[in-house]
Amino acid sequence: MQFGRRSFLKMVPAAALTATGTGTVAGLWSSAARAAEPLRVGSILSVTGPAAFLGEDMKAGLELAVDEFNAAGGMGGRKIEWTYYDAESQTQKGITATRRLISQDKVEVILSGGNMSGIALAMAPITNAAKVPFISSEGALAIVTPVAERQYVFKSTVDDGDVLERIADYLDKKKIKKVALIADTSGFGQGAVGQMKIVGPKRGLDVMYESFAPSDTDMMPQLTRIRDAGAEAIICWTVTPAGVVFLKQAQQLGLDKKTLIHSYGFVSADYMKLAGDAANTLLLASLKLPVGDQLPDSDPLKAGILKLMKAYEARFKRPASIYAAESYDAALLAREALKKVGGDVSKLTQGMEQIKDFPGISGVFTFSAERHSGLSKQDIVLVNWRDGRFNLADYA
Amino acid sequence: MQTTTALLQVLSSGIGTGAVYALVALGFNVVFKSTGAMNFAQGEWVVMGGMVTALLIGTFSSVGLAVVAAVVLVGVVGLLSERLTVQPLKRPDALVITLVTIGLSIVSRSLVMLVLGKKPVGYAGFSGNTALSFGGVSIQSQTLWIIAITLAFLVVMHAFFERTILGKALRAAAADREAAAIVGVNVGSTVLLSFGIAALAGALAGAIVTPLTLASYDQGAIFGFKGFSAAMLGGLGSLPGAVVGGLALGLLEAFGSFYISSDFKDAIAFAVLLLILFVRPSGLLGRADIVKV
Repeated sequence: MQFGRRSFLKMVPAAALTATGTGTVAGLWSSAARAAEPLRVGSILSVTGPAAFLGEDMKAGLELAVDEFNAAGGMGGRKIEWTYYDAESQTQKGITATRRLISQDKVEVILSGGNMSGIALAMAPITNAAKVPFISSEGALAIVTPVAERQYVFKSTVDDGDVLERIADYLDKKKIKKVALIADTSGFGQGAVGQMKIVGPKRGLDVMYESFAPSDTDMMPQLTRIRDAGAEAIICWTVTPAGVVFLKQAQQLGLDKKTLIHSYGFVSADYMKLAGDAANTLLLASLKLPVGDQLPDSDPLKAGILKLMKAYEARFKRPASIYAAESYDAALLAREALKKVGGDVSKLTQGMEQIKDFPGISGVFTFSAERHSGLSKQDIVLVNWRDGRFNLADYA
Repeated sequence: MQTTTALLQVLSSGIGTGAVYALVALGFNVVFKSTGAMNFAQGEWVVMGGMVTALLIGTFSSVGLAVVAAVVLVGVVGLLSERLTVQPLKRPDALVITLVTIGLSIVSRSLVMLVLGKKPVGYAGFSGNTALSFGGVSIQSQTLWIIAITLAFLVVMHAFFERTILGKALRAAAADREAAAIVGVNVGSTVLLSFGIAALAGALAGAIVTPLTLASYDQGAIFGFKGFSAAMLGGLGSLPGAVVGGLALGLLEAFGSFYISSDFKDAIAFAVLLLILFVRPSGLLGRADIVKV
C-alpha cells in the first residue's frame, strides 16, 4: 500500500504537467532548469614546476573569486562549478589538460592558462577553435593577437609594450638615453625584447640587449659588457630567481649606482628578501596592487585593491600578490561580460568587447573588437623596496 | 672597450662557476669509477646541499656549522639511496644502475619539493655579502671561498684515494671488481662508499654556491647536466679530469657569453664540448678504453 501511495504522489506533478503541457510552459520549465544548472568554469594552472610560485597565488585568486561570486549568486545567474588541472609548468601537459577541459568536462569558460606565457600561447588556438572563451592571466601579447585569429581569447594582464612605454616615460623624466635590457631566454623575456625593439627607437632610447638562461647562476660576463658600454639604466626582465643573481652581481660591479629596473614579473617580497641590500636602489615597474594603500584616494583602483587584500589575507594568511589579482581579474571580467549580455555564455565574447573603463584589481580595463588586452600604461607605477615592503616611487 | 680588467672580471667569474662544476663532475666520476654507471641523481644532491643548509642556518646560527651538518646529512642521503636502490639490484650492470639513478633523481626532486618547499632559498656568504676589489676587478668573497673549499676538498679526496686503505680498496674495485673481491675487498661496500662521496661532493657544491645563486628544488637537472658535461670533457673517471673539465666548461661559458653572445652561451660551450669529444672521445685527461677482441 505504502509503495503504491508514494508512486502515486510522484506521478501527480508529472501528470499535471502533461495535462497542461503546452509549448510555452514546457519551454519555460526547461529554461529554468538550465539556469539552475551550474556554469562550468575551467582553469589551467601550474602549481608544480618552476612556475609553481605563481600558480599557487593564481589558484588562490580564483578560489577567492569563485567563492565570493557563488555567495553572491554566481555568474550570469548561475552558480560556478570550477575545475582546474595542474600543467606542471610544462606546455605539453597544459595542452592535454586544455583538451580535457573542453571535451570531457565541457567547460563553458576558461580562466587562466597555466601561469606561463608559453602554455597560454599554446592554449589560445585550441580554445579559439573550440569556441570556448578563454580569459588568460598570462603576459605575452601574442596570446591575443592577431585578434582575427583570437576571437574567443582575452587577457587580464598588462602588455609588455605598455610597461616599456611607462618605463620610457620615467627615463625621459630622468633624462636617461642609454639603456640596457637584460632578459631571460623564456617567452616572457624574449617577448619584452621584441617589444623594446619597437618602443626603444620610437622613444629615442639607445638600447643594448643581453640575455641569460633562467637557470643561469652567473651573469658577470653580460654585466661586465653592460658596464663597459656605459649604460645609465639597466632593465631586467624575468620571473625566475636568476633576477636575484642579477641584482647581487650588478651590485658587485657597482652598477647599483645606475638606475636598475625590474619588470612586473619580479614584484615579489620573497625575491626582495633574498636580494637583501642589493635591492636597495632597485625600481620595479609594477601594477598598483602592492602599493594599494599608498595610492591617492582619487585612484579608481584603490578601494577594490584594499578590499581584495583584506579578503585574501584573511583567507590565505599571506598578502595578495599581483598574480593572485590577475587571475581574480579574469573571473571578474567574465562576470562583468556576462552581465552585459544577460548571462548568455554564447555571447560572452561580445560582452567582453563591450567592457569599458571597468575598474578591476590590476587596472582599469577597456576592451574592444580590435583589442583583446584591456590594460594600459596608466595602470603601471614604479615602486621600490624599503622597510620590508613595496613603496610607491613614481605615480604617473 | 674590452679592457684587461673586463677580461680578468670574466676570468674570475668563469673560475668560480668552473669550480662548482668540478665538484659536481667529481661526484659523477667517483660513481662511474666504482660502478661504470652515470649517476643522474648527482644534481639533486647539489640542490639538497643548498636547501638543507638554508634550513639549518636558523638552528645553528653559524654558516660553517650549517654547511657541515647539511653536507653530512646529504652524504647520508647518498648512502641510503645506494642501499635502497642500487644494492637490491639482482644484476647491477652499468646500464641498469644508470636507469635506476634517473628514477632516483625524479624521486629526490619530488621529495625536496614536498619537504623543503617550492620557494627558492638563499643565505649570506661565509664572509657576508662582501666584494673585494683588485684594481678594478671586483670579486665576491664567496667566489674565493668556493675556489678555496673546492681545492681543499680535492686535496682531501686525492689523499683519500692514494693514502688510505679504504681509498685504495675503492680504486682496486674500480680497476677490476673480481680481482679485488678475490684479494678480500668488499666490493659491495665500495659502491656504497662511492655514492656517499658523490653525495658529499654534490652537497658541498650546493652549499657553497647557494649564497651566490640561490637554490630551488628544480635546479638539480641543470647542475647535473653541467657536471656531467664537465666530467665528459675532462675524462670520465679521472679526478684531475673533473677539475680540468669543470674549469674548462666554466671558462668556455663565461668567455663565450662575453665575446660572442649571451644568447648562445650554452650553445657555444656545448659546441666546443662536442668538438673536443670528436677529437678526443675519452675527454681531455681520460684514458681510452682498450678492449681486446
